[in-house]
This record gives sequence, C-alpha cells and structure tokens, in this order.
Amino acid sequence: MWITIINLLLLGLLWGGVYLLMATGLNLIYGVMKVVNLAHGDMIIVGGLLAFTLFSAHGISPIIAFPLAAALLFVIGVVVQFVILERIPVKGSLGELRTLLATFGLSYVIANTSFLIWGSQFQSLPFLQGSVQLGRIALPQALVAASVLAFCAALVLHLWLTYTMLGKSVRATAQSGLGAACCGLNSRLIRVITFGVGAALAGAAGSLVITLIPFQTTASGELTIQAFTIIALGGLGNYMGALIAAEILGIVEVFTQYYLGSNPASAAIYVIFIAVLIFRPQGLFGKVGRV
Amino acid sequence: MKSNIIQGVCLVLLTLAGVGIALGGSGYYAQTLFTIALYIVLALGWNIISGIAGYVSFGQVGFFGFGAYAAALAMIHLEVEWYLAAPLAAGASALLALVLGGIMLRLNGIFFALGMFGLARILQITASSLSITGGPMGTTVLPAESPNESALIMVLVAAGAILIVHALSRSRLGLRLMATRDDDLAAQSSGVNTFRAKLRALCLSAAFGGVGGALYVWNIGYLDPNSAFNGNIELQTVLMVLAGGIGTVWGPVIGGILISLIGTFLWARFPTEQQVILGALTIFIAVVMPGGLTAFFEKLGWWRRQPIWSPPPAASLKPAPSPRTGAAADEHSVALSCRGLGIRFGGVTAVDDVDLEARSGEMLAIIGPNGAGKSTLFSLMSNYLTGSGATRFGERDIHGLKPYALAQMGLARTFQSSRLFPSLTVWETVLVAASSGRVPRQTAIHITTELLRETGLLDHWSEQPDTLPPGLQRLLEIARALALRPKVLLLDEAMAGMTLHEIEQVHAALRRAMSGGCAIVAIEHVLPAIVDLASRAQVLDFGRIIASGTPHEVLRNPEVISAYMGADYEGGTQ
Repeated sequence: MWITIINLLLLGLLWGGVYLLMATGLNLIYGVMKVVNLAHGDMIIVGGLLAFTLFSAHGISPIIAFPLAAALLFVIGVVVQFVILERIPVKGSLGELRTLLATFGLSYVIANTSFLIWGSQFQSLPFLQGSVQLGRIALPQALVAASVLAFCAALVLHLWLTYTMLGKSVRATAQSGLGAACCGLNSRLIRVITFGVGAALAGAAGSLVITLIPFQTTASGELTIQAFTIIALGGLGNYMGALIAAEILGIVEVFTQYYLGSNPASAAIYVIFIAVLIFRPQGLFGKVGRV
Repeated sequence: MKSNIIQGVCLVLLTLAGVGIALGGSGYYAQTLFTIALYIVLALGWNIISGIAGYVSFGQVGFFGFGAYAAALAMIHLEVEWYLAAPLAAGASALLALVLGGIMLRLNGIFFALGMFGLARILQITASSLSITGGPMGTTVLPAESPNESALIMVLVAAGAILIVHALSRSRLGLRLMATRDDDLAAQSSGVNTFRAKLRALCLSAAFGGVGGALYVWNIGYLDPNSAFNGNIELQTVLMVLAGGIGTVWGPVIGGILISLIGTFLWARFPTEQQVILGALTIFIAVVMPGGLTAFFEKLGWWRRQPIWSPPPAASLKPAPSPRTGAAADEHSVALSCRGLGIRFGGVTAVDDVDLEARSGEMLAIIGPNGAGKSTLFSLMSNYLTGSGATRFGERDIHGLKPYALAQMGLARTFQSSRLFPSLTVWETVLVAASSGRVPRQTAIHITTELLRETGLLDHWSEQPDTLPPGLQRLLEIARALALRPKVLLLDEAMAGMTLHEIEQVHAALRRAMSGGCAIVAIEHVLPAIVDLASRAQVLDFGRIIASGTPHEVLRNPEVISAYMGADYEGGTQ
C-alpha cells in the first residue's frame, strides 16, 4: 500500500518535470508578449513526431533528436512571429482577439500539415524500456531520463534568462516593453527570439514526451490546455509557480490514472483547469491573471 | 428605414432561393444547402457571445453537441418528433449556458475562451463514457425523410435566426451588450447590469447551438461524441464570423455562405489539405482584415451600422416639459451623506475618515493636490471600492449595492480619464444611460434628444466619439451621466482640458441639473473652473479633509495654501 503510494508520488514528480518543460515555452512567450500561443500543443507534437521519424527511419536516438527538434521548432517559431504575429498590434481588445484567432488558425495549419506527413494513427517511440529499481520501487527508465533532461533544459533556460545579456533583455522586455525599448533594446528582435525559444522548448518537450506516451496529430488541444493550466495555476509568467504547478499536476494525473482509469484522468486536466480559473484566477502564487 | 427595407429584401430573396433549392434540388444540393444554413445558425450564435458581447469562446461546439445529444435522447426515450426535440434541445443548451455562464462569465479574455474549450472537451469525454449516450460508438435516431425536407427546415430556421439577431442588434439588450463589450465599468456606471446582459447573450447563443445540433442529428440520423463535439465545426464557425465581419448581423451570414462554399469546394478538390487551407485563411483574415468583409464594405461606404433608435426628426421636436420629475425634492435637503469613509492599500491610507454631505441643488467642490485621494474617495462613495465607513443615499444605506444599481437609483459618476464606448455613436452613448433599468423607449429617446441638444452635441449624433475633439468627449460623458436623471452627480475632473467655450456649455448643463434638484460633487484640481458654481468646498490632502467652507474661505485657509505650495510659502493670499 505505502510502497504503491510512494511509487506513484515519485512517478508524479518525474512527470511533473516533463510537464514543466511542456509549459515553459508557453510561459516564456506569454511573459514577454502577453500572447497565449494556441498552437503550443501542435508544436509539441511536431517535435515528438520528428523524433519518431528520425528514430524509426534512421535509427537516430531521441537524445540526438532532442536538440534537432528544438532547432526545427526554433526556426518555425521565428517565422511565425516574424511573418504573422509581428503584424498584429497587441494593444486593445481586438488585438488580443486577433492574436488568439491567428494562433488558433496556426494550430489547425500545423496539426493538419503534420497529419498530412505522419497520418492520423498513434505513433510511439520505444526507447529505454527497462525500469530503474530502487528497492521495491520501480520507475520506467525512459521517464527518469526524460524528466532529468527536462529539468536540465529548464535550468539552462533559467541560467540563460538570469545571467546572459540577451536573457536579461528578454526579461526586461517582459516587464516593460516600452521601458526596454527606451533603453535601446530592439524589442522586435527580442520578441522574435523569444517566440523562437518558446517554440524550441515545445519541440524539445515533444521529443521527450513521445518516448513516454504515443502521439496523435489531433491530440494537441489537450496538450495546449495542459500547458496553459500549469502556467495559469502557477501564476502567468511566474517560473517558480509553474514548477510547483507542474509537480502538482503530475501527481494528480498519475493518481487519477492509477485509481480511476484513463477517461477520468483525461477529464481531470480540464476539471483542474476550470477549477483554477474559478477559484484561483491569479494562480497559486501570482497576480490575477487577466489577459 | 431604407436600410431595413434593403435588409428585408435580402432576407426574403435568400430565403426564397434556399427554399427553391431545398424543394427542387437534388439530394446533393439539398445536403450542401443544409450545411450552409446550419453553419449560418452556428455562426450567428457564436457571433452573439463573441462578437456582440465580446466574449470570445472556443467551446461553442459544446452547446451544439449538447443540443444534439439532448435532441437524440428526447427522440429515442421520449419518442418525440424532431419539431419538439429541436426546441427542447435549444432549451437544454440555454439552461446549460445559464448554469455555466454564472461561473464562466466571471472570467475574461483567454481564460473564458480556453475555459469554454475545456468544458466542451469535458462534455465530449462524458458523452463517450456514459451508456445512455451510446458511449464512443454513438447512437442512432430516426432521420428526416429526405435531405430536401431537412434542408427546407434548416433554411427556415436560419432565416428565423437572422431575424432574431437583427432584432437583438436593434434592441436595448444589444445596445447594452455593445456598451459592455467596449467598456464594462463605464457600462455599469451607465446603469447597465453587465453580468445579466452577458448571461442572456450566452444563453441565446447556446440556444442557437442547441437548435443547430438537434437539426444536425435529425438530418443524418446518427450521432457520436467525435462528430458532436468536432473541433472543425468550431474552426469553421469562427472563420465564418471573422470573414464576414465580427459583431455585425450580416457578417456571419455572408461569411457562412462564403466559407461553406469554399469549404465544400476544397473538400471536393483537396480533401486532405482542406483543414490546412482553412486554418491559413483564419490567420490571413486575423492579420490582414480583422473586420471581415463588412468592414471592407464600410470602408467603401457601401454599408454602415444603423444607430439604435435614432432621434426623432427635428420638426417633431417640441420643447416638452422637463422629464426630470421626482428629482426635484426639497431644496437643499441632504441627498448623499458619507460618514467616516476610509480605505487602506497596504501601508498607504489613501482615504482617512472623510465625512461629507451633498445637498440637492448645490455643488460641493472637493479640491486637493495630486495624489490626495480624490478619485479614490469617489470610488468609495459609489461602491466601486469597498472600504470602511457608511454612505447614505437619500434615506438609504447603500452598503453592498452594485454600481449599476446605484446608477439606476440616480447616483451617477464620470471618470477622471474619458471612458466612452468606442464602437457606439454619440446618440447611443447617451441612450445607454437614458434607457437603463426599465425606462420606456419614448422617454429614453426624449431624454437623449434633449440632453444632446442642450449640450450642443445633437449635430454630431451619428458620429463615433473618437472623432470628437477632447472637450466634446468630456461633454458627452457628462451628458451620459445626466441621462440617468441623477439625484447626485459625482464629477471627476470633468473640466480638465476644456476650452472656455466648452466649460461654459458644461456650466450651463450643470446649472440646469442643479435647478432640477440634482446634487453635484465635483473633484477639481483647479478651483477657478468651478468656483462660480460651488456653494461649498472641502480640501483633501493625504486622504484627510483639511478644510471646508465656502470656496473663497477655503482658498484663504493657511493649511490649504501650505498643502498646495509647501509649508514655507510666505506669499500669502493675493
């Protein structure tokens, strides 16, 4: 009994790391541009399916696919920001509506393009299928590897934001775009880079997650909601909050899955999401999240 | 009038064309027609909540699916015919919206949009888990006898839906929704119960979705969770409204026909790429033409939204007796009294133990330097903020009353920075307040016309507020507040940035209001702007009243001089 609970808790914590990486890109983009990228889940799936193709067609390990997926999505993100979102003024209610609708349309473009490439069937990537034994506790190797990589990626991002000049510029733009521009920062370039990095994080997350759960091109809505739930629960733009929220979500999902089955587990994410919106719209640790 | 005739002719022609195809066309044409008419209904429904009320939803398909299941279950278990099942489904969806709206409408922006998306997914998962709905495999019902029959009904329903939305756009509710969409707080201050208006809009739009779902299941005779809550329906609906013009009556109709035809064409020629192209089209429209085709027509001058309840023609205007009755209470009785008002923000005491009284027919001036807490005091007095102390309005303690209710009772306010409704005309801006509560239509039109004439704005009645010079915009805001026929009017730096001529016009309007018994409390930075009007003045500094008396007494008070000029100012009074 206790062994099961501890095992589930550890599983949940590891999943939390993966969820954190899935949400970090969305958080970064929201923090700087106050834009919720509704195509985030589709970007995760593209990253995963790319890793799948590299593995199944060329035998390339997901460890190598991880940076490749990030690079591909970085390019896609830069193009999207440069060609589409830079042309929409964010100010005012219509601006918000337009960015939402543009990323909503983008979500369909990406999802259905990947449908044309990869088809509609579930794709999975069998990798590191053994388990790590800690006494009587068994953890899947793939999950441990993915979680460690995800934490590393989140740490690198944190260091980049805190200690590099470019990272500091990104944070300055996030806190006040106008102020950053007054200090001579090229805010347009920073937005383009930020969107690229955010998309790259989504792609990197995808290449990890596909080793854990099978992907289907049409399942992106759930991933977007999952990522958004984490950043809403943690407080929009709050990275520490997102970490805690991701861990909570990971644990809740593992337990629901184990005790109640998979249908309630997939409904759980939406229930938590709506509960967060209603009871803690400011997130657990943030200010009121009103876009 | 002319515009109504053109719209009527368009509707009749479209309906006749639809009926003709439905009766005489082949099964294929009838099915295509059914789809177009269905999408018009869905697009009109989405447009009510997302366009007219401004609450973008990505879960409208939830009401469609819920209605479809409600109709299917009614047809199977209650053995009712489709013509009973459809209104039942509409009612069921509206009821669902009523329950959900109470919670969801407290959110806004992306939170509402994604929250609705999540709710639609929860409904989908529920439908595939329950046995009564047939689980993931779905359920079958007795379908329509022929595609022509269902197409005919769908066309008639779509025509009805257009009529309903047209009526809505010309109604009090439509006006209130547009005002709320533009500025929720300003709408409340104009006496609009914004939450109730939005809830009604959500229920109405859900009912449209429910009817659409019911007729959809009747048309094909089969329903499963994936087709009932299909995200592509959502995408197409959103795209149609965007393409046609969001927030308009005919936009969703034009977009519905256009995008359905494009979708059908793409489906025939590029079945696999259809979604990609539609998604790209959504991006294109969002970036390049956010107002859709109707905005394009507007730019060309072919089309323009008709203001709601236009003013009567000049000839029929008679200087009728002032409608401001009831307000003329006893001269100089206390209309509003505040005791011990205070509020703290963290360690800052913004307003500290303030007492004041406003008397009918008089103006009380509240003056004070920047940051003295003047605007915060107003927000406390009109329940936009809750702090300590008590405010009595007439005989009544207003504790806990909502700002819109206070506005309807006659406690009006203006805001320090202009809060007009960008998409309403000058006429409609005043009409929102004049028609608040249950004021009869003719009275509201009369009040609005009179006020616009008194303030000299009648010539601009059909213009948008942002085309007016700043002084006239402030004047318009004052007119909007006066349209509530207030017993007490709180003016927050109403005369800042006005020309002398405009100030005279404002003074005239305020004098008229005061002679009708209205009590005015005016915040001003610069006393000379109101010194002639005010009978008493109170000076606020660091949240406290430091002096009160007649305006001239107050100006000579040494404490006031030091508050404005600094303690060591020796210049004395000139």
